[in-house]
Amino acid sequence: MDILPQLILNSIIAGAIYTLVALGFNFIYGATKFFNLAHGIMAAIGGYAVFYFTKTVGLNMYVAIILGIALAGLVGFGLDKFIYLPLRKRKASNMVLLVASLGAMTAMQALIAILFSSRFKTLTENVGTQKLFTIFGGIITQTQLIILLSAAVIMASLVVMLYKTQFGKSVRAISDDEEVARIVGIHTNKIIGTVFFIGSAITGFTGILIGFDVGIEPTMGLNLLLKGVIASIIGGVGNIYGGVLGAFLLGFLENFGIWKLSGEWKDAIAFALLIVFLIFRPRGIINK
Amino acid sequence: MNKSTKLVIGALAILAIVAIGYFMSINTVEEVSVEEVSVEPIKIGMIAPMTGDLAFMGEGIRDAIVLANENTENTKYEYEVIVEDDQLDAKMSASAANKLISVDKVDAIITFSSVTGNVVAPIAEQNQIVQLGIASDANVAKGEYNFIHWTPPVEENRVFIAELQRRGITKLGIFEGIAPGAAAVIADLREQLKETDIEIVTDQMFNFGETDFRSIIAKTKDSEAETYLLLAFSPELEILAQQIREAGITTPITSIEGFELSEQVDLFEGEWYVNAADPTGDFTDQFVAKTGKSPTLGAANGYDIFNLIVAATENVTDTTKPTPKQIASELTKITNFSGALGNLNVDPDGIIVSNAAVRMIKDGKPVTVTE
Repeated sequence: MDILPQLILNSIIAGAIYTLVALGFNFIYGATKFFNLAHGIMAAIGGYAVFYFTKTVGLNMYVAIILGIALAGLVGFGLDKFIYLPLRKRKASNMVLLVASLGAMTAMQALIAILFSSRFKTLTENVGTQKLFTIFGGIITQTQLIILLSAAVIMASLVVMLYKTQFGKSVRAISDDEEVARIVGIHTNKIIGTVFFIGSAITGFTGILIGFDVGIEPTMGLNLLLKGVIASIIGGVGNIYGGVLGAFLLGFLENFGIWKLSGEWKDAIAFALLIVFLIFRPRGIINK
Repeated sequence: MNKSTKLVIGALAILAIVAIGYFMSINTVEEVSVEEVSVEPIKIGMIAPMTGDLAFMGEGIRDAIVLANENTENTKYEYEVIVEDDQLDAKMSASAANKLISVDKVDAIITFSSVTGNVVAPIAEQNQIVQLGIASDANVAKGEYNFIHWTPPVEENRVFIAELQRRGITKLGIFEGIAPGAAAVIADLREQLKETDIEIVTDQMFNFGETDFRSIIAKTKDSEAETYLLLAFSPELEILAQQIREAGITTPITSIEGFELSEQVDLFEGEWYVNAADPTGDFTDQFVAKTGKSPTLGAANGYDIFNLIVAATENVTDTTKPTPKQIASELTKITNFSGALGNLNVDPDGIIVSNAAVRMIKDGKPVTVTE
């Protein structure tokens, strides 16, 4: 295991994980213009759903993964339908929506802890028996390879969907101006509901992948969300490409930063980067 | 009887009634207060993780304390245990301690871990409540009211270094979660290693809550460590061990205390480590009979701590309920106490020392290799 290729690989893997969270987060932010703090919990919902369907119900792993993704999407859709949409209809401010999302996140996190306990769990059958691949002297596991491929495929799919489909045009129209979009006949609430479903499902899938790679715990979503939000802000919040760029920049800086610094500085590096961007380039690398 | 005689007799009768009532009331109050003192139990609070990753350890300590309470016979006082869950979170430890002191009015608090002990010890000292920590950090024993009962780092490191030397290991790598207990172990280890030819070739620190250790693992690549010492709690410990193996590193891993803090001990199959010495067979048999499980790490300490508090309380010669100050004072006088972890002495710094042993995970279970 050579250190440089390994650090590059680790940075790419971290970047891919942050990308997946930032993609879902940015997709929802682009349409709604508020920081949905409950977004991170979708990762835990996806992970715990797979844990429940495979270990308790005994379903096939692939069926459980599909159900986990669908459940995360449905919970996201439900949040919009029953909490955010009524608030939007009452012309609630983004601050009110943010606080509501914080409440939703806390409640769902507590519910998961009650149902499954706070104890750390793994989705893999036999820990430490993953297939390993060597790339230019660096080692990568099978799950990490899937994370990389998933990030690439999901990003490409989102871009195609946004720029080549009628639905994507509607999302972009809402992103530009929701009021005008409604006037020209776009069913904005329905489109935003679908955006919540897709964005949440992506993060649910991310949680499942992390569950296979490392493991799951009820609070996993908050840390992921923080990194996803940092990636989004430094890349350009609401911008799909910006989120990806920010995610990889964050992944590289974190992993190369602790090459020479102690590992305890990893989170400090991420937040220092965020502060630098908030001061000098608050709109991120790619202005929308 | 004339009118004035009647008045005098009436006044005397009233006085007699008042006097009888007064003396009866005094006697009643005294009786009630005496009774209250005699039935008011000595309250012992326990702060440990009862939910979360380390709940199994909190449960083990609680079961041992309940067992010790059930075994308590012919004592002057009743003893009541109140359990508070802190999930091994310092903020929750502080609020649990404040609740035990101000609401439950406990006389003593038992804490688990150096993290919790470091938070609760100053609160206990300020409120003049006895605190006994199942912790390795000597700071937890600072003050008149604070004590610890654990195998101290100096003893663990003595056994650890002897085992490294026996195995001919001269290059040691360390992965260290940032926590007071781990810091105390490493500080003492560095000190003791100065007298040997063993060198720490890499020391990687990380924050608790970290799940991606791959880059710090990659940094150790050129270290030529012959064994890696992992100082972490669950789940970081398991994730770290898993990622070390996934990185293709086959170097042996070891720990001080860590492996028995994990519920996935199969991850450490065949690896040796240093831990507190085995509890006595009598305690183990009783614990197994009560819970159906082997004692978890810290359970025997909990059992001993409860019995030490009882012994100190019973030794107070006053007829009224002993104060925490008196209990603390009596604790410092205890010598040659027959505990679940052998013969115990409370040293002047409030540290109750027990021995360390080299252990190994064999067929998924911890077994003692050398005492």
